[in-house]
Amino acid sequence: MIGATLRTITGRKGSFIGGAIFVLVTVLIVIVANIVIHELRPGRNPSMGGQSMLNGAMSAIFLFGVVVAILIGSLAGSYDVAQGTMRYLVITGARRGQIYAARVVAVAVAVLLMLAVPIALGALTAVVLPHTAADGITSGELVDYLWTSVLYAVVFGLISMGIGSLMRSNGPAIAISLVFSIGFTPLLLLLYSFSDSLGDMTLISSLDRITGGSDGLPVPAAAVSVVVWVAAFLGIGALRVQRDEY
Amino acid sequence: MADPIITLDGVSKTFGQTQAVVDVSFEVMPGRCVGWLGPNGSGKTTLIRCMLGLARTTTGTITVRGHPIPGDVRQALTRVGAIVEEPRFYPYLSGKANLEVAARFVGGDAGSRIDWALGRVDLTDRSGSKVKEYSLGMRQRLGVARSLLNDPELLILDEPSNGLDPAGIVEFREMIRSFVEHDGRTVFISSHLLDEVQKMADDIAIVQSGKLVLHGSVEQLVAGGRQSMRLRVDDPVRAEETLYRLGLVTSIEQGLHGSLELTGERIDDAKAILITRSLVEAGVGVIEIARESESLEQRFLEITSGMPLDSADEETS
Repeated sequence: MIGATLRTITGRKGSFIGGAIFVLVTVLIVIVANIVIHELRPGRNPSMGGQSMLNGAMSAIFLFGVVVAILIGSLAGSYDVAQGTMRYLVITGARRGQIYAARVVAVAVAVLLMLAVPIALGALTAVVLPHTAADGITSGELVDYLWTSVLYAVVFGLISMGIGSLMRSNGPAIAISLVFSIGFTPLLLLLYSFSDSLGDMTLISSLDRITGGSDGLPVPAAAVSVVVWVAAFLGIGALRVQRDEY
Repeated sequence: MADPIITLDGVSKTFGQTQAVVDVSFEVMPGRCVGWLGPNGSGKTTLIRCMLGLARTTTGTITVRGHPIPGDVRQALTRVGAIVEEPRFYPYLSGKANLEVAARFVGGDAGSRIDWALGRVDLTDRSGSKVKEYSLGMRQRLGVARSLLNDPELLILDEPSNGLDPAGIVEFREMIRSFVEHDGRTVFISSHLLDEVQKMADDIAIVQSGKLVLHGSVEQLVAGGRQSMRLRVDDPVRAEETLYRLGLVTSIEQGLHGSLELTGERIDDAKAILITRSLVEAGVGVIEIARESESLEQRFLEITSGMPLDSADEETS
């Protein structure tokens, strides 16, 4: 069931294939830019690869990978109802909970697939292209790069899937997911104005903490906070799928 | 006697203040093709959605293949195939890929039936094309193929002939009859093509404003309608007097060249014999005689336009 759902998600050229190419192109631009800058001013920019390449690739993946993950997740949540295929999944006799659970896993896998090539390319060029010893990359930094790039995209992909599952058409699902993820979650950091504890429990703070940030909740508590955020949105979506009439 | 494959007992479905289905009770016996008829908005699709666990009933119980819906929907639908409103697919996947996706959800050996199902609806050659390139008729056939993946005992098809050309309709009718006659499947089919349903179905249920107004075999339903006789006689005046004395006909219209059109309820063989014998005994020469029944379409319109029904006709099952 997961494989079949993954096939329906990855088959959507606009959101998945187009999105994956888009993220890949942004990473390629970062690579080319690093090479050009090095060639133009090698004294000022002694490294072609190394830290600067890794940071540039991560920024591109962080920014655009999350946007594409939101697109993939929200469409995965809304598409079957909007397209009218949901009723045909239900009348196969499969439990609605199973259909939804398969979709959750498939979205996570789809986001990983979408990011795989850009992440690998960013890491490879950072390690392989010439760089100074000071710009060298430790294995820990490489793991941080992978973890951060993947975690934000998967988390926002899953939250968007929960939001998408509440919608009966694709446009509003994408729009609301984007507004929530990119507009609303940073606004929640204003909670720091009232209380540090509340601020620490916001999604962005918790994600920052478990991807290497130094302030906020203890790492296990931050991880629990992220899980609660994701579970809340997926739970609301699951409830809708369980109760909806198709 | 076999158990019914579908049982509805006092089923009602309300949307806000609107009663879409009102206290519907009937049974569908296995191995029959049942036509489910009603005007637009009469609650046909709503009841089908309830039968498939896609919507909840407000009151009443539904049992499919001996399993209650929605309580045991998984078991009930194990061998049920369906098209609801219209067949929908992932347009960016091929016909075959769509069936492969469906087969993974159906489980079991559904995957092994994909090629057979595509062949059954004559789509093997186009199975590699994306569904967005399919005509409506091809999507209908692909919908039927998908509904065959679990080797269904029961097929529930909502307006499956939509979009088919005349040749496609004939082909589709033959396919449905073969499901019933050769495969022993039960088919529950809603359609507005009454002539097609008359040719395809064994039994008919008519729903109007959410209420079941009639349920019985096609023969019973058509026989219960008005029937007419056309006569050509040598003495229309004496013939009319004789027929009115008999009291078997409700109206007599005189046409050209001595023809008479008699209308009455259930002019069966015995009444036809009595009419002709009485005319002959009255000295009227009968030149031509022909009996005509109402079509299902005429009967349907008569019922759904609110004309009074003989109470004996109702719920003939």
